[in-house]
Amino acid sequence: MDIPELKRLERRDVDMHLTWSDGTEHQITYDDLRHACPCAKCAPQRNDDNSSKVLRRTVESLPKEKPTVRPVGNYALAFEWTNGCSSGIHRFERIWRLGEKQDPDNGKAYVHGAW
Amino acid sequence: MNTMADSPVKVNQPGDAPAGPSPEEQKKMEAAYNQMKRKMAISEMGKAIKHKIMVLSGKGGVGKSTVATGLALSLAQQGLKVGLLDIDITGPNVPKMMGLSGRRLNVESGRIHPAQGHLGVKVISMAFLLEDEDTPVVWRGPIKLGAIQQFIGDVDWGELDYLIIDFPPGTSDEPLTVAQNLPDIDGMVIVTTPQDVALLDSRKSITFANSLKVDVIGVIENMSGYTVRGKAPSGTEIELAAPGGKTVRVTADDEGHWSGTLDIFKSGGGEKTAEEFGVPFLGKLPFDPGFVRGGDDGVHRIVSEPDGPASLAFAEVVAQIQSKVESGSTDSGLEII
Repeated sequence: MDIPELKRLERRDVDMHLTWSDGTEHQITYDDLRHACPCAKCAPQRNDDNSSKVLRRTVESLPKEKPTVRPVGNYALAFEWTNGCSSGIHRFERIWRLGEKQDPDNGKAYVHGAW
Repeated sequence: MNTMADSPVKVNQPGDAPAGPSPEEQKKMEAAYNQMKRKMAISEMGKAIKHKIMVLSGKGGVGKSTVATGLALSLAQQGLKVGLLDIDITGPNVPKMMGLSGRRLNVESGRIHPAQGHLGVKVISMAFLLEDEDTPVVWRGPIKLGAIQQFIGDVDWGELDYLIIDFPPGTSDEPLTVAQNLPDIDGMVIVTTPQDVALLDSRKSITFANSLKVDVIGVIENMSGYTVRGKAPSGTEIELAAPGGKTVRVTADDEGHWSGTLDIFKSGGGEKTAEEFGVPFLGKLPFDPGFVRGGDDGVHRIVSEPDGPASLAFAEVVAQIQSKVESGSTDSGLEII
């Protein structure tokens, strides 16, 4: 998937504002981002509607905070929170899909080991 | 009767010293501090090392360590400051090839100092930490990951023009950890041999690099053709039985010398793969038994024959790599506020 390059990420109180190299701008709430966590513990919970709703409620009940953002190599970002899961490595493609209000998992159920 | 003095709950009285962190909290704080220190060191290292190149292959046995060592030595031949990081935790061979067998690393103030091999190349390898060369490293992934992070964050490389990183075959823990932790990597060099099995795995390495958004500097075809030489009366026509039932015909020159190249593992596959994936082809390195002897003796062909054909082949490949990395920028330019 070819996407523009992420040029700017501004952390705001409850969401982040992203600016991409082609001028596209996105707002992604931290709740959406945390619900889309791609780690091996959170991702399987999105495979099923009920457990996905539970994950959503869990994420929404966490204290609102700005994360620490850390680039992972050239291909992803990691978000560190003081509460809840900070394990996910979010590829830029996932972040783009979230910004475009698309399914970050691209319709694929999580299968352990399928990177 | 339970008195206040026996109670597990201690109430601070005026004048008491404030309760310090528990040993467990202390341990956590120390770990967090060390992690922060390592992150700072990695960021400093990113600035002090101008170019960082990963050398990978999908398949084992294609001569990756020989090529990584050759690239490092060829760059050092130009007078550049070069480091060679052997990330092959379970099969570290670089020290033997660099004549550094049996050496130990020097650790001062918590920083690891690399050993210095031929032409001043600085070397770090797991082999320096093993009691003897027959000791196996039996580690699962997370432990390997910790060792690699230490190799990246705790080594005092000083200022370097190039850091060449040699990996075990495949696209797993080791290259992934380095690509995630080491900032501003210039790219990956994929080593392959010309046969289909090796090419199939090399394609995976290219896709792996693309998926990590690390540039592929190019593909090197190693063990590409073995040149047989001999002497015969001038003008003699000689037929060499080549692999695959082919015949290579050569003629002795005026001085009676003849030479013919046999494509032992086929030829041209590396170039074809590079073309197919739209990545640069960096060149062919000949099949040379001298590499085997040099590796065993700890004197690389580039050191023993600085003007020999192998050195020239490496110099050509290195020139291509330099033109690519020195013209490119690795700064992603992402601003996080």
